[in-house]
Amino acid sequence: MRAMSRRVLLAAALLGGSLVGAQAQDKSPVKLGAIEILTGPNSRYGIAIQRGFDLALADINKAGGVLGGRPLAIAYEDSAGAKEQALNAARKLIGRDKVPLILGPTLSNEMFAAGPVANERKVPIVGTSTTANGITAIGPYVFRTSLPEADVIPVTLKTAQAKFGIKRVAVMYGNDDAFTKSAYDVMKASLEKLGIETLTTETFGSKDSDFSAQLTKIKALNPDAIVLSALVEAASGIELQARQLGIPEKVFFIGGNGLNSPKLGDIAGKAADGTLVGSPWFVGKPDAANQAFVNAFKDKYGGDLPDQFAAQAYDTLFIVAKAIDAAGAPDSEKIKDALIKVKYTGVMGPFSFSETRDPADTSGVVVLVMKGGKFQLLQ
Amino acid sequence: MWETLDDFYWTYQSLIHAVGVNGILALSVYVVLAVGQLSLGQAAFMGVGAYTGALLTVKFGVPFGVAMVGAALVPALLALVVGGPTLRLTGVYLAIATIGLGEITRIVFLNWDYAGGALGLSSIPERGGVAAIYGTLAVLLVGLTLVARSRVGRAMEAMREDEAAAGVMGVNLPRYRLVALVVSSAMAGVAGCLSAHVSSFIGPNEYGFEAAVTILSYALLGGIGSPLAPVLGSTILTLLPEVLRPLADFRLMVNGLIIVLAVLFMPRGILPWRIARTG
Repeated sequence: MRAMSRRVLLAAALLGGSLVGAQAQDKSPVKLGAIEILTGPNSRYGIAIQRGFDLALADINKAGGVLGGRPLAIAYEDSAGAKEQALNAARKLIGRDKVPLILGPTLSNEMFAAGPVANERKVPIVGTSTTANGITAIGPYVFRTSLPEADVIPVTLKTAQAKFGIKRVAVMYGNDDAFTKSAYDVMKASLEKLGIETLTTETFGSKDSDFSAQLTKIKALNPDAIVLSALVEAASGIELQARQLGIPEKVFFIGGNGLNSPKLGDIAGKAADGTLVGSPWFVGKPDAANQAFVNAFKDKYGGDLPDQFAAQAYDTLFIVAKAIDAAGAPDSEKIKDALIKVKYTGVMGPFSFSETRDPADTSGVVVLVMKGGKFQLLQ
Repeated sequence: MWETLDDFYWTYQSLIHAVGVNGILALSVYVVLAVGQLSLGQAAFMGVGAYTGALLTVKFGVPFGVAMVGAALVPALLALVVGGPTLRLTGVYLAIATIGLGEITRIVFLNWDYAGGALGLSSIPERGGVAAIYGTLAVLLVGLTLVARSRVGRAMEAMREDEAAAGVMGVNLPRYRLVALVVSSAMAGVAGCLSAHVSSFIGPNEYGFEAAVTILSYALLGGIGSPLAPVLGSTILTLLPEVLRPLADFRLMVNGLIIVLAVLFMPRGILPWRIARTG
């Protein structure tokens, strides 16, 4: 206890010192707000995002900060994954801390709560990991840098059709989760557009563990592939049971963003081989900017590899910093007008906002295939 | 000065709403606990009320007052229907039956595409607000305090302490139980409607088992000696996570610790005292 309080004192002294120093140079930091899940069961997403931001923050400040030498700073607020807490955090950041811009929140549900509040107070809010439909329809101050499912899934399905000539598929989706359901809606529309025949559509609950009824039916229909929208735990179970029931390996899975996780290979092992997913980013993308990012991330965080959430956060902070520079002042209205015009090429590829404040460019989307329990780029 | 005050109010607006709504929920679970029953269905009734109210304003554009009445009536009707068979059960069996009810309503909302299914209902218009929430809370608090001091209140207390003895003394047990359940579900429904109209978005997973336990914990922390006690409990449990925000990573741990200590050292709640009888 005593050791801890001494450490707190030391931290306070250091903080005080740095604040005085900043004032002496008359270069006060530009403080942004961020709402992420830093505690609780979904904190791995929020912490990955925080690491991405912190890495970008260090890079930006090393290069001289924003607005001709003012350092950038981020005030983090924890939402613990609850929409009420995200809402309270947004109100605190806007009303008390008076931040000119908010990064986050982590989940789409949280954005549906916090977005309208930021929009009401005319403070831009930039989601880096919110992929559901209708996020930016909240209002003109709501942006996102994460590619919505509606942009990624069509690319995956189109690639599958072109490469493997699939004609008839079975569809499975989790119908009790907003994320998997909205991905299914995109899959359905996209399959129709590509003229791929859907033999059957089966549903399950996100906590189910037995999928044999649905898979037996699918097996009898003999599809070319199975299109699957699920969270990674359910997806792993489905792929394992599909192989156990004797669905041949040439019937591969095509997944939504929920399957885009290394955990799929860890749990399902060989059963997951051949699974196709679309991703806005891939750790093994060979370009120099991406490799530099991956190495810097590994150095800073003791060998941990970044995931797509960290990569999206990393790029987002550069995009926001660029907008602040273009705006010429840490002013919400000016930043909002500047954001929409930003053009930036980062680790995810070329980026700009569309008129509806979504990412305009989908050329950064890569299709990955699972081989030997690991995702690699589809050749 | 005025501007600072206005900013302060704006910043904590959601929290002020939540304190009021949770106060009403605490009162709703108090009504059931006061007759010695254990219900874990309050979250489900709240959800039914929230969906009823939100659907009425979003899809039919009815005035907020009408939506509130609907949000009280529909869960009350549901309670009347399920009350018949389930109130033959007592104690832990009733708790299990009401958990089942909660799970069924959750699955109905999930699969009901008209009400948004898994995606929930969004862009609910902002109605009611602080005045409606605290007005309702005040009316219920005064009303229930008056009831607690009356003949009915004495009968409820007798049921809670010893059901058999209360029955022998002429208390109509089944009727009291049913009325308590119906009234409490109407209150939970109203709370759901009020909260839906200040948070702009509701989803089917908000009214599940976790929410039911949270509502029950308001009364456990506060006590059920008087209507004020559960409201105090809900206020503390709602404010704690925000008051502890400066603790950052330790926030939820300290939050849990405080609750555990309170329950260990104050097993009858923070406000265990009963209301003195006047009449």
